[in-house]
Amino acid sequence: MLKLEHVNITFHRNTVNENHALKDINLHLKPGDFATIIGSNGAGKSTLLNAISGTYPIDSGNILLNGQYITYQKEYKRAKHIGHLFQNTLKGTAPNMTIEENMGLAYSRGKRRGLSRGLKKQDTELFREHLRQLDLGLEDRLKTKVGLLSGGQRQAVTLLMATIVTPSLLLLDEHTAALDPKTAEQVMKITDRIVQKNQITTLMITHNIQNALEFGNKTIVMSQGRIVLELDKEQRKQMTVEKLMELYSTAAHDQFSDKMIL
Amino acid sequence: MLGVMTLALGAVELGLIYAIMSMGVFVSFRILDIPDLTIDGSFILGCAVSAILTYHGHPILGIVLSILAGALAGMVTGFLQTKLKVQVILAGILTMTALYSINLHVMGNKPNVTLLNVDTIFTFLEDKLPQNSYRLPVITVILLLVCSILFWFLKTQIGMSLRATGDNEDMVRASSINSEAMKIMGLAIANAFVALSGAVLAQYQSFSDANGGTGTMVIGLASVIVGEAIFGRRSMLMCFISVVLGSVLYRALLTIALQIGLPSSDLKLLSAILVIIAISVPVVKNALSRLATRR
Repeated sequence: MLKLEHVNITFHRNTVNENHALKDINLHLKPGDFATIIGSNGAGKSTLLNAISGTYPIDSGNILLNGQYITYQKEYKRAKHIGHLFQNTLKGTAPNMTIEENMGLAYSRGKRRGLSRGLKKQDTELFREHLRQLDLGLEDRLKTKVGLLSGGQRQAVTLLMATIVTPSLLLLDEHTAALDPKTAEQVMKITDRIVQKNQITTLMITHNIQNALEFGNKTIVMSQGRIVLELDKEQRKQMTVEKLMELYSTAAHDQFSDKMIL
Repeated sequence: MLGVMTLALGAVELGLIYAIMSMGVFVSFRILDIPDLTIDGSFILGCAVSAILTYHGHPILGIVLSILAGALAGMVTGFLQTKLKVQVILAGILTMTALYSINLHVMGNKPNVTLLNVDTIFTFLEDKLPQNSYRLPVITVILLLVCSILFWFLKTQIGMSLRATGDNEDMVRASSINSEAMKIMGLAIANAFVALSGAVLAQYQSFSDANGGTGTMVIGLASVIVGEAIFGRRSMLMCFISVVLGSVLYRALLTIALQIGLPSSDLKLLSAILVIIAISVPVVKNALSRLATRR
Protein backbone atom coordinates (compact mmCIF):
# COMPACT_ATOMS: atom_id res chain seq x y z
CA MET A 1 0.00 0.00 0.00
CA LEU A 2 2.20 2.82 1.30
CA LYS A 3 5.89 2.13 1.48
CA LEU A 4 8.71 4.47 2.43
CA GLU A 5 12.26 3.27 1.87
CA HIS A 6 15.23 5.10 3.38
CA VAL A 7 13.61 8.51 3.07
CA ASN A 8 15.82 11.48 3.97
CA ILE A 9 15.12 15.21 4.03
CA THR A 10 17.55 17.93 5.03
CA PHE A 11 16.44 21.55 5.20
CA HIS A 12 18.90 24.43 4.65
CA ARG A 13 21.67 22.08 3.64
CA ASN A 14 25.20 23.46 4.05
CA THR A 15 24.12 26.37 6.22
CA VAL A 16 24.32 26.90 9.97
CA ASN A 17 20.60 26.13 10.08
CA GLU A 18 21.05 22.70 8.52
CA ASN A 19 18.31 20.46 9.83
CA HIS A 20 18.21 16.76 9.06
CA ALA A 21 14.43 16.57 9.43
CA LEU A 22 13.86 12.99 8.29
CA LYS A 23 16.54 10.37 8.86
CA ASP A 24 16.35 7.10 6.97
CA ILE A 25 12.61 6.63 7.42
CA ASN A 26 11.26 3.18 6.61
CA LEU A 27 7.55 2.63 6.88
CA HIS A 28 5.08 0.13 5.55
CA LEU A 29 1.32 0.39 5.76
CA LYS A 30 -1.04 -2.36 4.61
CA PRO A 31 -4.39 -1.53 2.99
CA GLY A 32 -6.83 -0.37 5.65
CA ASP A 33 -4.13 0.36 8.22
CA PHE A 34 -4.86 3.35 10.44
CA ALA A 35 -1.63 4.48 12.09
CA THR A 36 -1.38 7.24 14.68
CA ILE A 37 1.86 9.21 14.98
CA ILE A 38 3.05 10.89 18.15
CA GLY A 39 6.25 12.74 18.96
CA SER A 40 7.43 16.03 20.37
CA ASN A 41 7.65 19.26 18.39
CA GLY A 42 10.30 19.09 15.71
CA ALA A 43 10.30 15.30 15.64
CA GLY A 44 9.54 15.32 11.92
CA LYS A 45 5.90 14.22 12.01
CA SER A 46 4.54 16.94 9.74
CA THR A 47 7.61 16.75 7.53
CA LEU A 48 6.91 13.04 7.06
CA LEU A 49 3.33 13.72 5.96
CA ASN A 50 4.42 16.57 3.71
CA ALA A 51 7.05 14.32 2.12
CA ILE A 52 4.38 11.74 1.35
CA SER A 53 1.95 14.33 -0.06
CA GLY A 54 4.70 15.92 -2.16
CA THR A 55 4.79 19.35 -0.50
CA TYR A 56 8.48 18.82 0.29
CA PRO A 57 10.75 17.05 -2.18
CA ILE A 58 12.85 14.34 -0.53
CA ASP A 59 16.65 14.17 -0.83
CA SER A 60 16.97 10.41 -1.09
CA GLY A 61 14.93 7.27 -0.74
CA ASN A 62 11.71 6.10 -2.31
CA ILE A 63 8.01 6.52 -1.73
CA LEU A 64 5.59 3.96 -3.14
CA LEU A 65 1.83 4.19 -3.16
CA ASN A 66 -0.21 1.25 -4.48
CA GLY A 67 3.04 -0.25 -5.76
CA GLN A 68 3.85 2.81 -7.85
CA TYR A 69 6.81 5.08 -7.30
CA ILE A 70 5.51 8.55 -6.51
CA THR A 71 8.84 9.91 -5.25
CA TYR A 72 9.10 12.51 -7.99
CA GLN A 73 5.42 13.06 -8.73
CA LYS A 74 4.11 16.60 -8.30
CA GLU A 75 1.90 17.42 -5.36
CA TYR A 76 -1.27 18.03 -7.37
CA LYS A 77 -0.86 14.71 -9.18
CA ARG A 78 -0.39 12.75 -5.96
CA ALA A 79 -3.47 14.51 -4.60
CA LYS A 80 -5.57 12.28 -6.89
CA HIS A 81 -4.91 9.47 -4.42
CA ILE A 82 -4.05 11.30 -1.21
CA GLY A 83 -6.29 13.35 1.07
CA HIS A 84 -4.48 15.76 3.40
CA LEU A 85 -5.94 17.65 6.38
CA PHE A 86 -4.15 20.24 8.49
CA GLN A 87 -4.42 21.79 11.92
CA ASN A 88 -5.29 25.12 10.29
CA THR A 89 -8.98 24.82 9.49
CA LEU A 90 -8.70 27.54 6.83
CA LYS A 91 -6.31 25.53 4.72
CA GLY A 92 -8.64 22.94 3.25
CA THR A 93 -11.48 25.00 1.81
CA ALA A 94 -12.07 28.00 -0.46
CA PRO A 95 -13.68 30.56 1.90
CA ASN A 96 -15.44 32.68 -0.74
CA MET A 97 -17.08 29.72 -2.42
CA THR A 98 -20.18 27.93 -1.17
CA ILE A 99 -20.22 24.56 0.56
CA GLU A 100 -21.63 22.89 -2.55
CA GLU A 101 -19.02 24.50 -4.80
CA ASN A 102 -16.23 23.37 -2.50
CA MET A 103 -17.62 19.85 -2.46
CA GLY A 104 -18.10 19.94 -6.20
CA LEU A 105 -14.41 20.69 -6.65
CA ALA A 106 -13.46 17.88 -4.31
CA TYR A 107 -15.87 15.52 -6.03
CA SER A 108 -14.13 15.97 -9.38
CA ARG A 109 -10.79 15.06 -7.81
CA GLY A 110 -8.83 12.71 -9.97
CA LYS A 111 -11.24 13.07 -12.87
CA ARG A 112 -10.66 15.17 -15.94
CA ARG A 113 -12.20 18.59 -15.46
CA GLY A 114 -13.94 19.89 -18.53
CA LEU A 115 -16.49 22.42 -19.64
CA SER A 116 -19.48 20.60 -18.24
CA ARG A 117 -21.39 22.24 -15.42
CA GLY A 118 -19.42 22.43 -12.22
CA LEU A 119 -22.42 21.52 -10.10
CA LYS A 120 -24.94 18.96 -11.30
CA LYS A 121 -28.26 18.43 -9.60
CA GLN A 122 -27.66 14.79 -8.66
CA ASP A 123 -24.28 15.80 -7.21
CA THR A 124 -25.80 18.36 -4.85
CA GLU A 125 -28.23 15.69 -3.64
CA LEU A 126 -25.28 13.44 -2.89
CA PHE A 127 -23.49 16.25 -1.05
CA ARG A 128 -26.60 16.92 1.00
CA GLU A 129 -26.75 13.25 1.98
CA HIS A 130 -23.09 13.26 3.05
CA LEU A 131 -23.53 16.48 5.02
CA ARG A 132 -26.57 15.08 6.79
CA GLN A 133 -24.42 12.27 8.16
CA LEU A 134 -22.15 14.82 9.82
CA ASP A 135 -25.15 15.80 11.96
CA LEU A 136 -24.05 19.44 12.10
CA GLY A 137 -27.07 20.88 10.34
CA LEU A 138 -25.01 21.75 7.27
CA GLU A 139 -27.27 19.88 4.85
CA ASP A 140 -29.56 22.93 4.67
CA ARG A 141 -26.73 25.37 4.13
CA LEU A 142 -25.32 24.19 0.80
CA LYS A 143 -25.28 27.73 -0.55
CA THR A 144 -23.49 29.22 2.47
CA LYS A 145 -19.96 30.48 1.89
CA VAL A 146 -17.51 28.23 3.71
CA GLY A 147 -15.77 31.27 5.20
CA LEU A 148 -18.85 31.83 7.36
CA LEU A 149 -18.65 28.42 9.07
CA SER A 150 -17.05 27.74 12.44
CA GLY A 151 -13.66 26.02 12.61
CA GLY A 152 -15.19 22.70 13.57
CA GLN A 153 -17.82 22.81 10.84
CA ARG A 154 -15.16 23.77 8.31
CA GLN A 155 -12.91 20.91 9.38
CA ALA A 156 -15.80 18.46 9.10
CA VAL A 157 -16.54 19.73 5.58
CA THR A 158 -12.85 19.46 4.71
CA LEU A 159 -12.88 15.89 5.93
CA LEU A 160 -15.85 15.11 3.69
CA MET A 161 -14.10 16.78 0.77
CA ALA A 162 -10.95 14.72 1.34
CA THR A 163 -12.92 11.46 1.43
CA ILE A 164 -15.91 12.01 -0.89
CA VAL A 165 -13.83 10.37 -3.60
CA THR A 166 -12.28 7.62 -1.48
CA PRO A 167 -8.52 8.29 -1.42
CA SER A 168 -5.90 5.55 -1.30
CA LEU A 169 -4.31 7.35 1.61
CA LEU A 170 -5.55 9.90 4.12
CA LEU A 171 -3.07 12.14 5.94
CA LEU A 172 -4.32 13.89 9.07
CA ASP A 173 -1.94 16.47 10.52
CA GLU A 174 -3.34 17.29 13.99
CA HIS A 175 -6.60 18.08 12.27
CA THR A 176 -8.50 18.48 15.56
CA ALA A 177 -5.83 20.42 17.47
CA ALA A 178 -7.27 23.87 16.76
CA LEU A 179 -10.78 22.93 17.89
CA ASP A 180 -12.34 23.14 21.34
CA PRO A 181 -12.34 19.78 23.21
CA LYS A 182 -15.98 18.99 22.50
CA THR A 183 -15.81 19.81 18.80
CA ALA A 184 -12.46 18.01 18.56
CA GLU A 185 -14.06 14.86 19.95
CA GLN A 186 -16.96 15.19 17.53
CA VAL A 187 -14.69 15.65 14.50
CA MET A 188 -12.52 12.75 15.68
CA LYS A 189 -15.57 10.49 15.86
CA ILE A 190 -16.65 11.52 12.37
CA THR A 191 -13.12 10.87 11.16
CA ASP A 192 -13.06 7.39 12.64
CA ARG A 193 -16.45 6.56 11.20
CA ILE A 194 -15.52 7.66 7.68
CA VAL A 195 -12.16 5.89 7.81
CA GLN A 196 -13.67 2.64 9.11
CA LYS A 197 -16.58 2.70 6.68
CA ASN A 198 -14.40 3.14 3.61
CA GLN A 199 -11.42 1.20 4.95
CA ILE A 200 -9.10 4.11 4.11
CA THR A 201 -5.41 3.69 4.84
CA THR A 202 -4.68 6.56 7.21
CA LEU A 203 -1.78 8.29 8.94
CA MET A 204 -2.81 10.61 11.77
CA ILE A 205 -0.57 12.91 13.78
CA THR A 206 -1.90 13.76 17.20
CA HIS A 207 -0.69 15.26 20.46
CA ASN A 208 -3.45 13.53 22.32
CA ILE A 209 -1.84 10.26 23.45
CA GLN A 210 -5.21 8.91 24.54
CA ASN A 211 -6.44 9.39 20.97
CA ALA A 212 -3.26 7.86 19.62
CA LEU A 213 -3.99 4.61 21.45
CA GLU A 214 -7.74 4.70 21.08
CA PHE A 215 -7.97 5.12 17.31
CA GLY A 216 -6.43 3.07 14.54
CA ASN A 217 -4.55 -0.20 14.71
CA LYS A 218 -0.96 0.98 14.91
CA THR A 219 1.00 3.68 16.74
CA ILE A 220 4.27 5.21 15.59
CA VAL A 221 6.52 7.27 17.85
CA MET A 222 8.90 9.72 16.23
CA SER A 223 11.82 11.60 17.68
CA GLN A 224 14.44 13.80 16.05
CA GLY A 225 13.63 12.77 12.52
CA ARG A 226 13.45 9.02 13.19
CA ILE A 227 10.77 6.47 13.84
CA VAL A 228 11.84 5.22 17.27
CA LEU A 229 8.93 2.96 18.12
CA GLU A 230 6.23 1.09 16.22
CA LEU A 231 3.44 -0.50 18.19
CA ASP A 232 1.14 -2.98 16.48
CA LYS A 233 -2.37 -3.92 17.56
CA GLU A 234 -1.30 -6.47 20.18
CA GLN A 235 1.39 -4.27 21.69
CA ARG A 236 -1.05 -1.38 21.90
CA LYS A 237 -3.52 -3.45 23.90
CA GLN A 238 -1.04 -3.69 26.76
CA MET A 239 -0.18 -0.05 26.54
CA THR A 240 -1.48 2.70 28.77
CA VAL A 241 -1.01 6.43 28.40
CA GLU A 242 1.47 6.46 31.31
CA LYS A 243 3.48 3.55 29.97
CA LEU A 244 3.63 5.09 26.51
CA MET A 245 4.75 8.41 27.96
CA GLU A 246 7.52 6.56 29.77
CA LEU A 247 8.54 4.53 26.74
CA TYR A 248 8.35 7.60 24.66
CA SER A 249 10.69 9.57 26.88
CA THR A 250 13.22 6.70 27.12
CA ALA A 251 13.10 6.21 23.37
CA ALA A 252 13.60 9.89 22.83
CA HIS A 253 16.30 9.88 25.48
CA ASP A 254 18.21 7.01 23.85
CA GLN A 255 18.09 8.88 20.64
CA PHE A 256 19.45 11.90 22.37
CA SER A 257 22.31 10.02 24.06
CA ASP A 258 23.15 8.32 20.76
CA LYS A 259 23.65 11.68 19.28
CA MET A 260 25.74 12.79 22.23
CA ILE A 261 28.06 9.81 21.78
CA LEU A 262 28.40 10.47 18.08
CA MET B 1 -29.81 69.87 -24.45
CA LEU B 2 -28.61 68.03 -27.51
CA GLY B 3 -25.05 68.64 -26.32
CA VAL B 4 -25.77 67.00 -22.98
CA MET B 5 -27.39 64.02 -24.72
CA THR B 6 -24.36 63.57 -26.96
CA LEU B 7 -22.05 63.78 -23.96
CA ALA B 8 -24.14 61.26 -22.03
CA LEU B 9 -24.26 58.88 -24.98
CA GLY B 10 -20.51 59.16 -25.40
CA ALA B 11 -19.95 58.43 -21.72
CA VAL B 12 -22.18 55.34 -21.86
CA GLU B 13 -20.47 54.07 -25.03
CA LEU B 14 -16.99 54.55 -23.60
CA GLY B 15 -18.13 53.15 -20.27
CA LEU B 16 -19.37 49.96 -21.93
CA ILE B 17 -16.17 49.61 -23.98
CA TYR B 18 -14.05 50.02 -20.87
CA ALA B 19 -16.39 47.63 -19.06
CA ILE B 20 -14.92 44.81 -21.19
CA MET B 21 -11.47 45.80 -19.89
CA SER B 22 -12.82 46.05 -16.35
CA MET B 23 -14.13 42.49 -16.66
CA GLY B 24 -10.53 41.51 -17.38
CA VAL B 25 -9.38 43.34 -14.25
CA PHE B 26 -12.17 41.58 -12.36
CA VAL B 27 -10.83 38.20 -13.51
CA SER B 28 -7.23 38.87 -12.53
CA PHE B 29 -7.71 41.07 -9.48
CA ARG B 30 -10.85 39.63 -7.92
CA ILE B 31 -11.04 36.03 -9.10
CA LEU B 32 -7.33 35.19 -9.26
CA ASP B 33 -6.33 37.75 -6.59
CA ILE B 34 -3.37 38.85 -8.73
CA PRO B 35 -2.63 42.55 -9.31
CA ASP B 36 -1.73 42.22 -12.98
CA LEU B 37 0.01 45.16 -14.61
CA THR B 38 0.26 43.42 -18.00
CA ILE B 39 -3.07 45.16 -18.60
CA ASP B 40 -1.47 48.53 -19.38
CA GLY B 41 0.41 46.86 -22.22
CA SER B 42 -2.16 44.36 -23.45
CA PHE B 43 -4.80 47.10 -23.77
CA ILE B 44 -2.62 48.91 -26.29
CA LEU B 45 -1.68 45.59 -27.87
CA GLY B 46 -5.38 45.14 -28.61
CA CYS B 47 -5.61 48.70 -29.96
CA ALA B 48 -2.55 48.17 -32.17
CA VAL B 49 -3.56 44.82 -33.65
CA SER B 50 -7.10 46.03 -34.25
CA ALA B 51 -6.00 49.37 -35.77
CA ILE B 52 -3.42 47.95 -38.12
CA LEU B 53 -5.74 45.23 -39.45
CA THR B 54 -8.61 47.70 -39.78
CA TYR B 55 -6.27 50.01 -41.67
CA HIS B 56 -5.61 47.18 -44.10
CA GLY B 57 -9.35 46.47 -44.46
CA HIS B 58 -9.98 43.64 -41.95
CA PRO B 59 -11.82 45.15 -38.96
CA ILE B 60 -13.40 41.88 -37.74
CA LEU B 61 -10.18 39.91 -38.11
CA GLY B 62 -8.55 42.72 -36.14
CA ILE B 63 -10.95 42.12 -33.24
CA VAL B 64 -10.43 38.35 -33.29
CA LEU B 65 -6.64 38.50 -33.51
CA SER B 66 -6.41 41.12 -30.78
CA ILE B 67 -8.20 38.71 -28.42
CA LEU B 68 -5.63 36.04 -29.20
CA ALA B 69 -2.74 38.52 -28.84
CA GLY B 70 -4.03 39.62 -25.43
CA ALA B 71 -4.37 36.01 -24.29
CA LEU B 72 -0.80 35.35 -25.38
CA ALA B 73 0.46 38.37 -23.41
CA GLY B 74 -1.37 37.10 -20.32
CA MET B 75 0.18 33.67 -20.77
CA VAL B 76 3.65 35.20 -20.85
CA THR B 77 3.01 36.94 -17.52
CA GLY B 78 1.56 33.72 -16.11
CA PHE B 79 4.58 31.76 -17.29
CA LEU B 80 6.95 34.25 -15.65
CA GLN B 81 5.02 34.07 -12.38
CA THR B 82 4.53 30.34 -12.08
CA LYS B 83 7.35 28.62 -13.93
CA LEU B 84 10.16 31.17 -13.52
CA LYS B 85 9.00 32.32 -10.06
CA VAL B 86 9.19 36.02 -10.93
CA GLN B 87 7.42 38.13 -8.31
CA VAL B 88 3.78 38.66 -9.17
CA ILE B 89 3.85 42.43 -9.74
CA LEU B 90 7.25 42.38 -11.41
CA ALA B 91 6.08 39.73 -13.89
CA GLY B 92 3.33 42.06 -15.06
CA ILE B 93 5.65 45.06 -15.26
CA LEU B 94 8.15 43.06 -17.34
CA THR B 95 5.53 41.95 -19.85
CA MET B 96 4.05 45.45 -19.98
CA THR B 97 7.48 46.95 -20.69
CA ALA B 98 8.24 44.38 -23.37
CA LEU B 99 4.84 45.01 -24.93
CA TYR B 100 5.66 48.69 -25.40
CA SER B 101 8.25 47.76 -28.04
CA ILE B 102 6.08 45.03 -29.49
CA ASN B 103 3.13 47.42 -29.83
CA LEU B 104 5.29 49.87 -31.79
CA HIS B 105 6.35 47.03 -34.10
CA VAL B 106 2.73 45.97 -34.58
CA MET B 107 1.86 49.53 -35.62
CA GLY B 108 4.63 49.50 -38.21
CA ASN B 109 7.14 51.33 -36.00
CA LYS B 110 4.91 54.38 -35.74
CA PRO B 111 3.75 55.83 -32.40
CA ASN B 112 0.17 56.10 -33.62
CA VAL B 113 -2.19 54.92 -36.33
CA THR B 114 -5.16 56.95 -37.52
CA LEU B 115 -8.12 55.28 -39.23
CA LEU B 116 -9.74 57.62 -41.72
CA ASN B 117 -12.27 56.56 -44.34
CA VAL B 118 -11.89 52.86 -43.66
CA ASP B 119 -14.50 50.28 -42.71
CA THR B 120 -14.73 49.46 -39.00
CA ILE B 121 -17.05 47.18 -37.05
CA PHE B 122 -19.20 50.28 -36.53
CA THR B 123 -19.56 51.42 -40.14
CA PHE B 124 -21.57 48.27 -41.05
CA LEU B 125 -24.57 49.76 -39.23
CA GLU B 126 -23.88 53.39 -40.05
CA ASP B 127 -26.26 53.65 -43.01
CA LYS B 128 -29.01 51.57 -41.44
CA LEU B 129 -29.56 53.46 -38.20
CA PRO B 130 -30.14 57.15 -37.39
CA GLN B 131 -27.15 59.36 -36.88
CA ASN B 132 -25.01 58.71 -33.80
CA SER B 133 -27.11 55.76 -32.63
CA TYR B 134 -25.28 53.08 -34.58
CA ARG B 135 -22.35 52.55 -32.22
CA LEU B 136 -24.18 51.62 -29.03
CA PRO B 137 -25.81 48.40 -30.38
CA VAL B 138 -22.45 47.10 -31.64
CA ILE B 139 -20.75 47.74 -28.30
CA THR B 140 -23.66 46.28 -26.32
CA VAL B 141 -23.75 43.10 -28.39
CA ILE B 142 -20.00 42.52 -27.98
CA LEU B 143 -20.13 43.22 -24.24
CA LEU B 144 -23.14 40.94 -23.67
CA LEU B 145 -21.62 38.18 -25.77
CA VAL B 146 -18.26 38.05 -23.96
CA CYS B 147 -19.83 38.51 -20.53
CA SER B 148 -22.23 35.62 -21.16
CA ILE B 149 -19.37 33.38 -22.25
CA LEU B 150 -17.36 34.30 -19.14
CA PHE B 151 -20.39 33.81 -16.89
CA TRP B 152 -21.02 30.37 -18.32
CA PHE B 153 -17.34 29.47 -18.15
CA LEU B 154 -16.97 30.38 -14.48
CA LYS B 155 -19.75 27.89 -13.65
CA THR B 156 -18.06 24.99 -15.43
CA GLN B 157 -15.71 22.59 -13.70
CA ILE B 158 -12.63 24.38 -15.04
CA GLY B 159 -14.14 27.74 -14.17
CA MET B 160 -14.79 26.63 -10.62
CA SER B 161 -11.21 25.42 -10.34
CA LEU B 162 -10.09 28.85 -11.56
CA ARG B 163 -12.15 30.64 -8.92
CA ALA B 164 -10.85 28.36 -6.19
CA THR B 165 -7.25 29.04 -7.27
CA GLY B 166 -7.59 32.68 -6.30
CA ASP B 167 -9.39 31.75 -3.11
CA ASN B 168 -7.16 29.06 -1.64
CA GLU B 169 -4.28 27.68 -3.67
CA ASP B 170 -3.40 25.00 -1.10
CA MET B 171 -6.89 23.59 -1.33
CA VAL B 172 -6.76 23.63 -5.12
CA ARG B 173 -3.57 21.61 -5.26
CA ALA B 174 -5.01 19.23 -2.67
CA SER B 175 -7.97 18.70 -5.01
CA SER B 176 -5.53 17.54 -7.70
CA ILE B 177 -5.86 20.74 -9.72
CA ASN B 178 -2.75 22.16 -11.39
CA SER B 179 -2.85 25.60 -9.81
CA GLU B 180 -0.04 26.93 -12.02
CA ALA B 181 -1.94 26.03 -15.16
CA MET B 182 -5.03 27.69 -13.69
CA LYS B 183 -3.14 30.95 -13.09
CA ILE B 184 -1.72 30.99 -16.61
CA MET B 185 -5.16 30.33 -18.05
CA GLY B 186 -6.78 32.97 -15.84
CA LEU B 187 -4.27 35.63 -16.86
CA ALA B 188 -4.77 34.68 -20.51
CA ILE B 189 -8.54 35.16 -20.17
CA ALA B 190 -8.13 38.45 -18.28
CA ASN B 191 -5.80 39.92 -20.86
CA ALA B 192 -7.91 38.64 -23.73
CA PHE B 193 -10.76 40.76 -22.35
CA VAL B 194 -8.45 43.75 -21.92
CA ALA B 195 -7.11 43.47 -25.46
CA LEU B 196 -10.63 43.09 -26.87
CA SER B 197 -11.62 46.28 -25.08
CA GLY B 198 -8.63 48.07 -26.61
CA ALA B 199 -9.48 46.65 -30.02
CA VAL B 200 -13.05 47.97 -29.91
CA LEU B 201 -11.84 51.33 -28.59
CA ALA B 202 -9.32 51.75 -31.44
CA GLN B 203 -12.06 51.27 -34.03
CA TYR B 204 -14.49 53.41 -32.02
CA GLN B 205 -12.19 56.43 -31.87
CA SER B 206 -10.45 55.63 -35.20
CA PHE B 207 -7.15 55.97 -33.47
CA SER B 208 -4.43 53.95 -31.75
CA ASP B 209 -1.63 55.47 -29.71
CA ALA B 210 1.34 53.52 -28.35
CA ASN B 211 1.46 55.70 -25.24
CA GLY B 212 -2.23 55.45 -24.38
CA GLY B 213 -2.05 52.49 -22.00
CA THR B 214 -0.66 54.08 -18.85
CA GLY B 215 -3.08 53.73 -15.98
CA THR B 216 -5.48 51.38 -17.76
CA MET B 217 -5.28 48.92 -14.88
CA VAL B 218 -6.16 51.67 -12.40
CA ILE B 219 -9.20 52.64 -14.49
CA GLY B 220 -10.34 49.02 -14.47
CA LEU B 221 -9.73 48.77 -10.75
CA ALA B 222 -11.66 51.97 -10.13
CA SER B 223 -14.62 50.58 -12.10
CA VAL B 224 -14.55 47.26 -10.25
CA ILE B 225 -14.29 48.88 -6.82
CA VAL B 226 -16.81 51.68 -7.45
CA GLY B 227 -19.26 49.11 -8.81
CA GLU B 228 -18.84 46.81 -5.83
CA ALA B 229 -19.19 49.68 -3.38
CA ILE B 230 -22.54 50.65 -4.84
CA PHE B 231 -24.06 47.45 -6.18
CA GLY B 232 -22.38 44.82 -3.98
CA ARG B 233 -20.99 41.38 -4.81
CA ARG B 234 -23.54 38.99 -3.38
CA SER B 235 -23.57 36.63 -6.32
CA MET B 236 -21.64 36.12 -9.52
CA LEU B 237 -24.37 37.85 -11.52
CA MET B 238 -24.30 40.87 -9.20
CA CYS B 239 -20.51 41.01 -9.52
CA PHE B 240 -20.81 41.13 -13.31
CA ILE B 241 -23.51 43.80 -13.23
CA SER B 242 -21.57 45.91 -10.75
CA VAL B 243 -18.41 45.79 -12.90
CA VAL B 244 -20.31 46.99 -15.98
CA LEU B 245 -22.30 49.67 -14.14
CA GLY B 246 -19.17 50.68 -12.21
CA SER B 247 -17.36 51.27 -15.48
CA VAL B 248 -20.21 53.39 -16.90
CA LEU B 249 -20.48 55.34 -13.66
CA TYR B 250 -16.76 55.95 -13.57
CA ARG B 251 -16.85 57.25 -17.14
CA ALA B 252 -19.78 59.51 -16.23
CA LEU B 253 -17.78 60.90 -13.31
CA LEU B 254 -14.86 61.66 -15.61
CA THR B 255 -17.14 63.36 -18.14
CA ILE B 256 -18.65 65.54 -15.43
CA ALA B 257 -15.21 66.37 -14.03
CA LEU B 258 -14.08 67.44 -17.50
CA GLN B 259 -17.24 69.51 -17.99
CA ILE B 260 -16.74 71.46 -14.78
CA GLY B 261 -13.31 72.40 -15.97
CA LEU B 262 -10.86 69.75 -14.75
CA PRO B 263 -7.93 69.69 -17.21
CA SER B 264 -7.78 66.33 -19.03
CA SER B 265 -4.15 66.01 -17.92
CA ASP B 266 -5.42 65.55 -14.34
CA LEU B 267 -7.68 62.59 -15.16
CA LYS B 268 -5.15 59.95 -14.14
CA LEU B 269 -4.61 61.73 -10.82
CA LEU B 270 -8.36 61.67 -10.29
CA SER B 271 -8.53 57.93 -11.11
CA ALA B 272 -5.76 57.11 -8.65
CA ILE B 273 -7.35 59.19 -5.88
CA LEU B 274 -10.71 57.54 -6.54
CA VAL B 275 -9.20 54.07 -6.11
CA ILE B 276 -7.38 55.11 -2.94
CA ILE B 277 -10.57 56.49 -1.45
CA ALA B 278 -12.61 53.43 -2.39
CA ILE B 279 -10.04 51.07 -0.87
CA SER B 280 -9.49 53.12 2.27
CA VAL B 281 -13.15 53.75 3.15
CA PRO B 282 -13.56 50.46 5.11
CA VAL B 283 -10.23 51.03 6.91
CA VAL B 284 -11.16 54.56 7.93
CA LYS B 285 -14.66 53.42 8.97
CA ASN B 286 -13.14 50.73 11.18
CA ALA B 287 -10.70 53.13 12.77
CA LEU B 288 -13.47 55.63 13.46
CA SER B 289 -15.77 53.05 15.05
CA ARG B 290 -12.87 51.82 17.21
CA LEU B 291 -12.26 55.39 18.32
CA ALA B 292 -15.92 55.76 19.15
CA THR B 293 -16.05 52.62 21.32
CA ARG B 294 -12.89 53.60 23.15
CA ARG B 295 -14.52 56.70 24.59
